[in-house]
Amino acid sequence: MATPGKTMKVFEELLENPQNRLVEQAAQEGRIPIGYSCSFVPEALLMADKLFPVRLHATGLAGTEIADNYLSSFVCSYARSLLEFEMDGRFDFLQGSVFVPSCNHMQRLYDNLVYLKKSDFSHILDVPRKVNEDTLIWMAEELKTIADKLTARFGVDLSDESLRKAMARWNDFAGVIQSIGELRKKPYPPITGAEFHQIVMAALASPKDLILPYILDLKKELKAREGIKKYRARLMVVGGHLHDPEFIKIIESQGGLVVADRFCTGTIPGFKTIELNGGSPYKTLAEHTFAKTLCPRMMEDFDRRLNIIIDTVNEYKVDGVVLEIIKFCDLWGVDSMPLVTALREKGIPVLKLEREYRLGSEGQLRTRVQAFIESMGK
Amino acid sequence: MKLNTFIDNTKNGIVRLPDITKSFLRNSLAGYLFSALSLRDALVYIKYWILTWAAIVKFMGQGLFKIGPAGLIRALINNPWILILIRVNGLANRLVRGRTGMYHDSICMTVHTVALGVLEQLRNMLFDPKRLVIFEDLVPYDIGRAMGLKCYLLELMGIALPLIKTEATLQYIDEAENSGMNPDACSLPKATVGMVLKGHMPRGVAIVSSNMPCDAGAASYAVIQRTYDIPIYRLDAPYNFYNERAEKLFSRDVMGMITWLEENTPGRMDWERMREICRGRNRMLELENELWEMTRVRPAPLACAAVWLSHLWHFNVSAGHPVSIRHYEKLIKMARRNFENKIPATNNEKYRAVLWNPPFLHFVDIFNWAERTYGVTLLNDSMTYNHHGPIDTTSPETMLRDWGKTIMQGPMVRHTRGPAENYLDDIFRMVKQFDLDMVWVANHVGCKGGQAMNGILREQCRARGIPLLILDYDLSDPRIVSHDNMLRQVDFFMENVMKAPRLN
Repeated sequence: MATPGKTMKVFEELLENPQNRLVEQAAQEGRIPIGYSCSFVPEALLMADKLFPVRLHATGLAGTEIADNYLSSFVCSYARSLLEFEMDGRFDFLQGSVFVPSCNHMQRLYDNLVYLKKSDFSHILDVPRKVNEDTLIWMAEELKTIADKLTARFGVDLSDESLRKAMARWNDFAGVIQSIGELRKKPYPPITGAEFHQIVMAALASPKDLILPYILDLKKELKAREGIKKYRARLMVVGGHLHDPEFIKIIESQGGLVVADRFCTGTIPGFKTIELNGGSPYKTLAEHTFAKTLCPRMMEDFDRRLNIIIDTVNEYKVDGVVLEIIKFCDLWGVDSMPLVTALREKGIPVLKLEREYRLGSEGQLRTRVQAFIESMGK
Repeated sequence: MKLNTFIDNTKNGIVRLPDITKSFLRNSLAGYLFSALSLRDALVYIKYWILTWAAIVKFMGQGLFKIGPAGLIRALINNPWILILIRVNGLANRLVRGRTGMYHDSICMTVHTVALGVLEQLRNMLFDPKRLVIFEDLVPYDIGRAMGLKCYLLELMGIALPLIKTEATLQYIDEAENSGMNPDACSLPKATVGMVLKGHMPRGVAIVSSNMPCDAGAASYAVIQRTYDIPIYRLDAPYNFYNERAEKLFSRDVMGMITWLEENTPGRMDWERMREICRGRNRMLELENELWEMTRVRPAPLACAAVWLSHLWHFNVSAGHPVSIRHYEKLIKMARRNFENKIPATNNEKYRAVLWNPPFLHFVDIFNWAERTYGVTLLNDSMTYNHHGPIDTTSPETMLRDWGKTIMQGPMVRHTRGPAENYLDDIFRMVKQFDLDMVWVANHVGCKGGQAMNGILREQCRARGIPLLILDYDLSDPRIVSHDNMLRQVDFFMENVMKAPRLN
């Protein structure tokens, strides 16, 4: 495997705390950090004017004692971790948050947050669970509502023109990330899955314009890097929230090179660029949001999810799929049942891993990945 | 068989004999007669016992005529759970224990009308499969019936079977888990998926499902649709639904469902029939409200299964159906008679309670025990409670809008979406409305949305001085929390929190 360069250390450091130095720098410049928890919140909307989006993550979390009291220990550990961090004051730097009732857990997380810690600006975006003409209009209206609230609260410019600029900035940024992601299609990619995930996570947790120079530096660095030849199998990771790059590092420690990421904080198709068409920016954002998010909460999306995974497997020459599911997640837990069957029917080996948000049971993870790679005859 | 095995089996049989006898006495007519509180009660019970059996025999006769002996045998082999339903009188037996007078009669009648309804479901399922449309549990049949379709509620047996036989759905839960479904999911979708995978469910020509009430329920239809490979329509109720915008969106969605059903099934919308169904639903709502008005007074004239089982079946499965309307009319008559003569449902009404979340399916008689042991009377529950208005039957548009509102604001749907107030306010409104002494939460381990509200609810109840029992259990699986454990939880609560002595 390639040795991590200096730039990689920067990304690592940026992920140590939600309030990282780039976030602080932006805040000192008078910009407004808005937290969000779900891919159904279009980042471009929160990139307009002085706003900047911060993906809520709780890496380095020690335990969820307080959150367990309220949410119970049967709720997804991502939701519990966010509540714990919030109660610890780790998100106090945020000036507002946007949530999505993406699942029962996130919905109740929002309820508990509202109950336990009054925030100056907290909004829940009512995202429909199927896509058609009516729900697209609904979603566009929802986005307009939140834009109006943001304008009223922070006095930011969220005019159509400002939003179009923000979408263009998102496109530039996503284009850079995608171009790095494309390198993973090579037979000998110059970047490991863990490194790539570190960049993506750091990018999601920092102001895009401030992190972009580092990413461009890395891109240059990658050009000079030798491709990774020593691996046993090319893997794709599929699932819900996965924030800690260590999870992928452990998979890769067993000889599996993660070349594709189809999870909430992954790039396929999360870093899709927005098709700018001169129409209403809200409608454009609504269409983009539905297109770039693949979640089992979307009731009519199973075939699209499946096909994107199969296409990615072919495009990235993937040998096997690792399906990671956070324990107690009903959406992924139930959906994985037909998904695993359908992928296996297509001859794609699948390893289903149930895990906690926080990295744990590393030994078990290593053994299972090792056995999976061996089962593929690699 | 080896001699040792034979001896062991015999020994085991002897050891189980007291349990078998107990179970026989709890479920059989003979057992009931031993425990009947009066001759009058016994006669009423026997009347309904005979009526239910007569309905079963009639159904079998119709089966022989419609699908022939071979067809009937095939149906029983493909759907072995039908044989469990035959024990429905056992449910009545357990639910009326310790009860007398009108309270006793109302429960006998409720179980009987539910049995009639279940038989109607079996007729739909077996006799006319070409018009059979599968509906998810929170999408009532009203529109399907108005379109002249035969409807079947896929989750129905996951609900009905454990009511009759505690362990009835365990094999299906295991089937779903063994096939890869997450074991921590709600056991109702697990049981449903298990039945589908085992081929123990009707197939139908189309499915109507929704995003209600929870993630596991909605997601399970991805499995079901792929297994059946038939067209599906999914209704999508918005998160924030108490506004005109949401009502419009949902009513367009419902209209989309009607158009889709017309394209994919032989059904055709008949708005006159829909109007009749809506009027019937309104009538039932009116009658139910009258019942609640009476149960607000201490002591209540009727309670427990007469209230919750009536609603669970008649509003969710056959709202507006003549049998259901008649059931409510009779129920109200019985309640009124008690109310006017100042006869309480139970002489021991010491504590008035409400049950939050669906009833304990595999242990429904826990409230008989609580009633007899501590004087806890169950007045209402979250599945029954609602406060939406009637459906305006003026035009198809008003019917669509208000029918949609009825669904979105219906029990479970409104409690599982929208802000926490949707969940909490109803509880506190009920406490006031029914003059309650305590709130019981059926803390189903598979219901994460409910689990995640317990922290807030606990603090809010404490602040208001409302005693709260959060009773851990699993909706359909007694292996998670045993009946004994559930009883102990009630004991601890009554002894330590309520400081209540046992009545006996």
